[in-house]
Amino acid sequence: MALLDGELRVDRSLFVSAHIADCSECDKTTDSVRNVSTSLAKWTVPNMPVSIEDKVLRSLSHIKNLRTNEFLSGLRRLQSLQAVLVSGAGLVTLWVFFGLNSGRHYRVASKIAAERDLPVDNAAPMASSPTSRATLSERGRNPITGRDNADSQYYVHKIPFQAQPGYAQLETQQPPMIARTVLLSIVVKDFDAARASFDAILARHNGYAASLNVSTLQGSARTLQASLRIPAPQLAAALSESKALGRLENETQNGEEVTQQHADLLARLKNSRETEGRLQDVLRTRTGKVKDVLEVEQELARVRGEIEQIEAEQKTLEHRVEFATIDLKLAEEYKAQLNTPAPSVLMQLRNAAVNGFRSAFESLLALVLFLAESGPSLLLWLAPLGIPGWRLWKRYRRAQ
Amino acid sequence: MLFRTALPEAFTELFHRYKQPIYGFFCRRVPDPANAQELTQETFFALLRAASRYEPRALFRTYLYAISFKILRAHRRKAAFRAAFLGHRNSVPDPSKQDTTESRMWVRRAVEKLDPIDREIVMLREFEQLSYSEIADLLRLPLNTIRSRLFRARTALRELLDPSTAAASSEAQKASPAKVSQSAVAPGARKGFRL
Repeated sequence: MALLDGELRVDRSLFVSAHIADCSECDKTTDSVRNVSTSLAKWTVPNMPVSIEDKVLRSLSHIKNLRTNEFLSGLRRLQSLQAVLVSGAGLVTLWVFFGLNSGRHYRVASKIAAERDLPVDNAAPMASSPTSRATLSERGRNPITGRDNADSQYYVHKIPFQAQPGYAQLETQQPPMIARTVLLSIVVKDFDAARASFDAILARHNGYAASLNVSTLQGSARTLQASLRIPAPQLAAALSESKALGRLENETQNGEEVTQQHADLLARLKNSRETEGRLQDVLRTRTGKVKDVLEVEQELARVRGEIEQIEAEQKTLEHRVEFATIDLKLAEEYKAQLNTPAPSVLMQLRNAAVNGFRSAFESLLALVLFLAESGPSLLLWLAPLGIPGWRLWKRYRRAQ
Repeated sequence: MLFRTALPEAFTELFHRYKQPIYGFFCRRVPDPANAQELTQETFFALLRAASRYEPRALFRTYLYAISFKILRAHRRKAAFRAAFLGHRNSVPDPSKQDTTESRMWVRRAVEKLDPIDREIVMLREFEQLSYSEIADLLRLPLNTIRSRLFRARTALRELLDPSTAAASSEAQKASPAKVSQSAVAPGARKGFRL
């Protein structure tokens, strides 16, 4: 067969030809195959119509035009690419220009703001002058709550007052009472060590923590928020030690003068006590109707209550004067932690097997539920839709 | 490579060289000559469209016949779909345009009775004169399969074209046409390779 098709090598071809010459059966087979080829060769086809030939060759000119069009469209693509590049360059230039301008404005604004703002570290020395006290009073807003510190329960304390000449005539002889509140935000590397140092600072300066909150959220750094009360004379030392705990991120110091408030309390107390004395004299020396006596006693009780209230306020104010408040926020430098070590291989296999059985059971149950719920509907629609579809498919397969 | 770079001249040359073989390829496989003309035209248009992507990994002839096969398969698929779902019958050959010579008709009928793969192999060998390896590449079959199937097809054709066998077969056809039509169903058509 391969000999007739010319698929044999020359040496093999010679060998097979020699064999065919000797073997009548092979010769007969060869002839029959050759006859088949001869018979098949009778199946000729007519020449291709000229119209088709013309049509195909005409399409060549179209292809040439297409190539020209491709060239033009490529040129257009190139032009559009250039346009995109130019637009991009323009946008970048605009961005750089406006970015630089806005940066310059920002720097100028920051500079002006810095010039207007007061350095926080200088708040204590500046409190010695009336101007600085006024400034401190203006700035005496809690940065967290936004409320005036006078509204909150911030403690006040007395600080040494170096009176300016003539100031003594303006104010009473009492030293001014300034409420000091300090807000510190510190980032530490070793949170546990910082926590121990923090406790030591409190103990060393006879302070206490009014509130303390430590939070350890997963995937984030630990934080400690505390409100510390430190005796006012030791505030500076406690502050410096607190700052040494780590990297200081933010520090805000506020001072609020409450001298007037204290003086008002004293005056109200003095008046109330005098009123009380006079009422007691009236009760002791004068005689009259029982109704009048009862009215005097009622008035005396009211005044007595007022005196006790004012005394409590005074004691609270004076007690608060002795302590300053430090709102401290300690944050640990965040270090990404590896996940908790995976359970053992056996445990993982067991869990996987349990989950696999559960999901298999659930899927089986879901299938049963689906069949129970939708089976009747499926059967109902399968008959009118499926059978014609199946017949069409059979026809399609037969037609192929 | 010339075909890809200097398209019009090369295409004209290739068209003149292969127009008749490709037209014959379709004429022998599609009953309606009009369809054969259309498919031939479509093949050369496809060749033009794909010229920029042509890579000379095989003989150009194999490449061209591969395109022809794809187009033929698509045509058969569409015809089957139309016949099955739209009720259009497969294109019936116009008797005036059909092979009128008795010998041609006889050969055509004999070839049509072969297994589809065997038929394609023998037609590619006998009419398109492709080598065994080209046929193997084209049909994506092993070379030895081509050899054995070609032998089987030729043997079957010898029996079908033998007048004595043919007469017996004709009588048998008259006696039980269902049996003949059943034998005409290609057993190879169910073996994965579809033509």
